[in-house]
Amino acid sequence: MYKIAGLKVKMECSGETLLAQGEPYRTAVAGQPDMIIDISDETLAKTKESYPQFCFDEWEYIHKGFAFSYKLLEHSGFCLHASAVAMGNKAVLFSAPCGTGKSTHAGLWQQYFGKDKVVIINDDRPALRLLGDEIYVYGTQWSGKTNLNANIKVPLQAVVFLKQAGENHIERLTNKEAIKRLIRHSIRPNHDKGKMDALLTLLDTLLQKTPVYHLDCNISMDAVKLAYDTINKRMRCII
Amino acid sequence: MRIKEGYLLREVAGSHVVVPTGKATLDFTGVITLNETGAFLWKLLADGKTSKELLGALLEEYDTTEAKAKADIDIFLTKLEVADLIE
Repeated sequence: MYKIAGLKVKMECSGETLLAQGEPYRTAVAGQPDMIIDISDETLAKTKESYPQFCFDEWEYIHKGFAFSYKLLEHSGFCLHASAVAMGNKAVLFSAPCGTGKSTHAGLWQQYFGKDKVVIINDDRPALRLLGDEIYVYGTQWSGKTNLNANIKVPLQAVVFLKQAGENHIERLTNKEAIKRLIRHSIRPNHDKGKMDALLTLLDTLLQKTPVYHLDCNISMDAVKLAYDTINKRMRCII
Repeated sequence: MRIKEGYLLREVAGSHVVVPTGKATLDFTGVITLNETGAFLWKLLADGKTSKELLGALLEEYDTTEAKAKADIDIFLTKLEVADLIE
């Protein structure tokens, strides 16, 4: 049994990757699971036949990760393709298409503020859940290539969509623009209309509570400072 | 005339968004946003209403002229056809 995003998840793992990555999420807690992830080895073997570029181990990791994302929608939660950092019990999510530099920017936050202050909650696909009145960000073992994740729960402060640019510039997005990007970067339950509806309801709630920004950025501490100051509504001071 | 199967129209944070589900995800990746009139017409088209019925409904719902309504419907339908969203 695992405890992921506050849920008791029953999942048998056979591959090395998922076993190793899942270790910090293992729990001795017994009782009824909230979620069962049950993908047979035959299904995985079949996928591997069709797409041999990944090994069995990787397919197990990918398949079960998607299964978790979809089932999370039954528990007021979803996964967003983003790199999530926690600082002072507030979570900031950096989202962008693959290869833009989410992880790089998150890494810069650690460098700027110190690794003791900034924790990477999840470097690829953090889980978000609405509990009561608040949206929380959780680490999961599905953190992509970097294996950077922490089994913690942090209230969401802001979402920042990144774009590579020469000059740093940040602006708050209108709801209309934000919703388009949030849908695009969410793990969408494409084959389930009911769950898609649940996802859109969650995004609606998220937008009522959370500011969403667009950050043009280069790889610099200036980009970190601009993002941090804007999110925390501070005036930028010239050093 | 009907909107193809699988598209889900929802109001999210004050915007009307359309997301593909099921087989539609193979034809259309991404998100469509509609203004209020667009969402109004989309719902009628999802029910398979004719362009004549669209015109009647639009004139009843909005304070507009027949010529303007007709033109708006034409533009909207052309956009949907170009995006291959109706059958």
